[in-house]
Amino acid sequence: MKLLIVDDSSMMRTTIESHLNNFGFEIVGHAGNGREALELVTAKRPDFVTLDITMPEMDGIECLEEIMKIAPDTKVMIITALSDKYTGLEALKKGAREFLYKPVTPEQLKEGFDSMISHH
Amino acid sequence: MDTKQLEFEKTVNVFINSIEKYFNKLTDTPIQTHPPFIKQPDDLVLKECTGMIGISGSKMGLVYISGGMELFRDLILQYVGLEKPTTSDMLDMAGELSNVVAGNVRESYGREFMISIPIVFQGSPDKLKFPKDVPIYVIPFDWDGHEAYMVIGLK
Repeated sequence: MKLLIVDDSSMMRTTIESHLNNFGFEIVGHAGNGREALELVTAKRPDFVTLDITMPEMDGIECLEEIMKIAPDTKVMIITALSDKYTGLEALKKGAREFLYKPVTPEQLKEGFDSMISHH
Repeated sequence: MDTKQLEFEKTVNVFINSIEKYFNKLTDTPIQTHPPFIKQPDDLVLKECTGMIGISGSKMGLVYISGGMELFRDLILQYVGLEKPTTSDMLDMAGELSNVVAGNVRESYGREFMISIPIVFQGSPDKLKFPKDVPIYVIPFDWDGHEAYMVIGLK
């Protein structure tokens, strides 16, 4: 199973990769903004994507819409600091499969991925 | 109690709750906040490493969190598990902390409270641009023996 990690914080990308180490994912790339993420989705066709929302160049919601056009079967988990309920609902409506609010613990990440994989 | 005082207390409490939640959730050590105070923009205190977020929409202004490199080094060690972070890693962590604290405030202020991507800097910039006539609240706090400041200028 291929995973792409998208967050403008390099420390968050490292954290997510480290916490998901036991899942046996092939990490196909890290992206720091939505544009880089789309290039990697097109080139690498990941099965799963973790996607931040507040990012430079292209935000996560716009990126999610584009991913759903390019590769609609991709399972996207939004991981964001934007803790209002509207943002979560909007992301789910646009095709995200899971939604986590930062700060995110290793346990929350693992539970979120267990849930996504069980529906894979 | 006058309106300004009520507004001051409400804003301060929302941000204190947000930063307390961050450290409580990700580390074993809670933060200790100290009495907040109001300061003039030309008279602000900055530590070595600062993450700053611009606010627009229902409110306008800036929020920043500033601490020594050691605070961010220890936070990275506890949360990320990285033993020897670079200066760039510590600045990134300062930006991410500011992003999460400001973003979580949307739970109280709603989605019209818009946050920018983080801007990070080491040391003091020439001048911090706060909107005019905005009270600037400084909330000192300690975490794991490290002193830091959260500074909020919103209208």
